[in-house]
Amino acid sequence: MVTLIRQELFKLIHKKSTLIGTIALLVLMTIFAVFSKMQPSFSDPKGEFIAAYGGTSWIVFFMIAACSTIIAMEFQYGTIKELLYRRYYRGEILASKWITMFIYSLYFYVLSFVFSVILKVVLFNSKFSFSDIYTNDQSVMHVTLVTYAGNFVGLWLLLSLVLLLANVFKSSAAAISVGIVGYFATSIVSSLMFMLINKWEWLKWNPLNMLNLPSQLSNSTVIGTLTRLSNTELVWGNLIYTGVFLFLGYLIFRRRNV
Amino acid sequence: MDDILTVKKLNKSFGKNKVLKDVSFNVQPGKIVGLVGPNGAGKTTIMKAILGLFDFQSGSILIDGKDVSITKHQALSEVGALIEYPGIYPFLTGMQHLELFADNAAESKKDIQNIIDELQIGSYINRKAKAYSLGMKQKLGIALALLNNPKFVILDEPMNGLDPKATKELRNLILSLAKKGTTFLISSHILSELEKLVDEIVVIDKGKIIKQTSMEALSDSNGNYLILKTSDDTQAREILTAEGIELEKSDKLKIKKTSDEQLTGLIQLMSNHNINIVDVQHEQNDLETSLLDLLDNDQVKE
Ligand SMILES: Nc1ncnc2c1ncn2[C@@H]1O[C@H](COP(=O)(O)OP(=O)(O)O)[C@@H](O)[C@H]1O
Ligand SMILES: [Mg+2]
Repeated sequence: MVTLIRQELFKLIHKKSTLIGTIALLVLMTIFAVFSKMQPSFSDPKGEFIAAYGGTSWIVFFMIAACSTIIAMEFQYGTIKELLYRRYYRGEILASKWITMFIYSLYFYVLSFVFSVILKVVLFNSKFSFSDIYTNDQSVMHVTLVTYAGNFVGLWLLLSLVLLLANVFKSSAAAISVGIVGYFATSIVSSLMFMLINKWEWLKWNPLNMLNLPSQLSNSTVIGTLTRLSNTELVWGNLIYTGVFLFLGYLIFRRRNV
Repeated sequence: MDDILTVKKLNKSFGKNKVLKDVSFNVQPGKIVGLVGPNGAGKTTIMKAILGLFDFQSGSILIDGKDVSITKHQALSEVGALIEYPGIYPFLTGMQHLELFADNAAESKKDIQNIIDELQIGSYINRKAKAYSLGMKQKLGIALALLNNPKFVILDEPMNGLDPKATKELRNLILSLAKKGTTFLISSHILSELEKLVDEIVVIDKGKIIKQTSMEALSDSNGNYLILKTSDDTQAREILTAEGIELEKSDKLKIKKTSDEQLTGLIQLMSNHNINIVDVQHEQNDLETSLLDLLDNDQVKE
């Protein structure tokens, strides 16, 4: 298993898109921070730091792209045979890909956090300090960490769906589209969904509602009345759906003819 | 000795299309076995089943006495394979491919270098694989199949895309590995590619095994003819036919050789009728023709 993860990381490191993604993330965050420095009247320096200068949103796209290609790539290049005929169980091969993607997402989160701190120190050092109170008696740093955690859990719900779909469709394009649509869908259909939840209480357990976790964490009281779930319920819902989607992906992958 | 591979009554369908029908054959350790048949016969499908890449409807596959299926892969730990076309990551160099799949870092350095030397791929091994030609990719695929000193190597149409020189080098490499005890199962739709290489062939057509035979037996059983030239071929033909001796379809007097004494009998017969035998030629069918005969016979049987 360790061998398999090592091999997956080896491939990931040597892919051009990994380097491009990293550089793009840093550039996009820098641009965002510089613009908000130039337009101080529109900006909320603390809020922007918490949102990693847009970093956490960009990471969603990079990770959707990475997850949708990590399996489809093997089919496209014909390397899937080489992966699967060896002594390993199929489940191990799939799990090594999941774990690699997990490590990759952690890498992006750490990177965007560290770079946010750098941007803050360079551009906004006089504006606020990490121990300032942001909301609900919580410091900026505290809110940042909670927001990151919430985003991360929500990200993985989305990614588990992308990994499942990439497996169903054998193609990365379909999985990328669904992942991105899913990401925007929450905000687009949320008002409709909240109406339906109001009518049929049990609908609050649908996976789309789970994607509201990050916004509820940063704005508990308002969104909480709409999602009708507590923070804890939302976290568990996310984790359970993630597990279910990954498991469905495994069931498909296990018996697949290649 | 116990078989390294035993395939028993393997049946595989894609939907309604029965692709393998009761396929049975075996491979003994240290042998080079050719799997020969026309395009679409089911060679690749058999190999994929052996490698646990396919579900199959019934039958069994044993490698080294251990069951192999889509969910049972333990027996495949000492198997190397190249199926259909080589799987290559365009963003890695050839060398990185070898490093990626090498088992043991300490031993593999030497192992990798050996393979590179023997396949003569050193000149481009450090270039990105997306720039490789078909033949270069094929060689890299073969190198990957031979990596980690597998006991049993499965190669699907390995000569595809190789020039004559590379084909010859590959043949020599396979022969030298077989001498050291590696077992090979090699498929091809062209028998002549294999004839200087394999010990045994398994002939498959339309998903059925037609014959498993040693190479010598195949050339002996099908290949030998006597061609007579006489002072009067027309009369000789009548006499032979009258004697119940079967003549091959040919404008020459072509008779299938059945024994060493046969010729003495023929000379006797001719001289009894005052016909002189001017010349006797031996003709050996090439293996390609033997194979085609086998396939033709198969069609007659159906
Ligand atoms: N994945 C598949 N789905 C449906 N039919 C297939 C598939 N793979 C192979 N076949 C069919 O099985 C038959 C045997 O194919 P194959 O094993 O590739 O032949 P060979 O390698 O001897 O040329 C062909 O008729 C082919 O159309
Ligand atoms: Mg084939």
